[in-house]
Amino acid sequence: MKITDACVHPYPAGDSTLARMTIEAAELGFDSIVVIGDAGDRHPGIEVLRGAVICAASQKEVIKQVRSPAVRGADVVFVNAGDTSFNRAVVAVKEVHAIKNIHATRKNAFDHVAARTAAERGVAVDISMASIVHLRGTKRQRALQQYADILSLHRRYGFPLTISSDARSILGQRSVRDIRGLCALFGMTGAEVSEALSSFGRITEPHQPVRVVE
Amino acid sequence: MKPRPPTMRGKRRYILARILPYGMAADQKQVYFSVIEAATSLFGDAAVGLAQPAVVFCEGGYVVVRCRRGAEKDIAAALATVNAIADERAALRTVAVSGTIRALRRRIKPIRPLSAAGDVKFGETYFTVYRYPRQKVDLVEKGIKHQKSLFFTEADLEER
Repeated sequence: MKITDACVHPYPAGDSTLARMTIEAAELGFDSIVVIGDAGDRHPGIEVLRGAVICAASQKEVIKQVRSPAVRGADVVFVNAGDTSFNRAVVAVKEVHAIKNIHATRKNAFDHVAARTAAERGVAVDISMASIVHLRGTKRQRALQQYADILSLHRRYGFPLTISSDARSILGQRSVRDIRGLCALFGMTGAEVSEALSSFGRITEPHQPVRVVE
Repeated sequence: MKPRPPTMRGKRRYILARILPYGMAADQKQVYFSVIEAATSLFGDAAVGLAQPAVVFCEGGYVVVRCRRGAEKDIAAALATVNAIADERAALRTVAVSGTIRALRRRIKPIRPLSAAGDVKFGETYFTVYRYPRQKVDLVEKGIKHQKSLFFTEADLEER
């Protein structure tokens, strides 16, 4: 059970290098992080997974991008959420591991149909701490509403959740303790936070029925 | 004025938080304004008024925030949403919560630069280099106000 920060953006996208972010993540209580971009060499004390984020307008585009060499080499593939039909379609794509930026979509963009498919296929929904930490006013209220809605769907259908700091700097990284406090704002319990932080193994290597090879 | 007897006083909790970036010389008043702004925008005036947050002291890269007992989780969550102190990018990381300041003082481990600051040039920009324990290197752009900061390690600096 590895505690994983599901998404960080190191230098040059942000102002902190990957090595520095791994040191900070280890101090903050994480065992692994997912890096968008180049994961570089091995880092002592912490596992670094390579992630890729797909921004697309249609399922066709997602499938096209998933087959590109840059995305194929990634350990974790995220897709930025869109409207209802897009989300329903994208959770059915085999190579997609998680949906990101759900807070930026319209209300009910991720509905019960998408939730059921996500649960069947083991596709996760990412909860970004950056939207709670950096946004203010109505935008943050909307993000909290979206996360509360996602949480109720998660409790009903059982699809996995991931939690990411979405940090571009060490100043954006938050400790496991802080994440627990922030997730409590939209009703997530400590056990649910622990499960979400350690759900990466389940997403990248889902439980499948035993196949007889011979 | 005669002080209230101890049994009549409200119970308090103290939260110790580390200020990032390390070298930041944060003013207590400015930290207080940042904490209040973050807490008020998150929980509203009524909840923050009841929680009674206050900055007790701010020194050595740490800040101690006082609040009413029972509100410490909310205030700790609010501290996690602090993005800036006096218009400078910053973060507060909760280290410990206790009922006494004395217990928190024992948890304070001052973080000071390892050696004298040096200079380095990236592209057209000059940065001052501050080295900290665990191979951490902070680069602060030379200038008067709103300098850019970069957070590297010793190995990253050698590569460049």
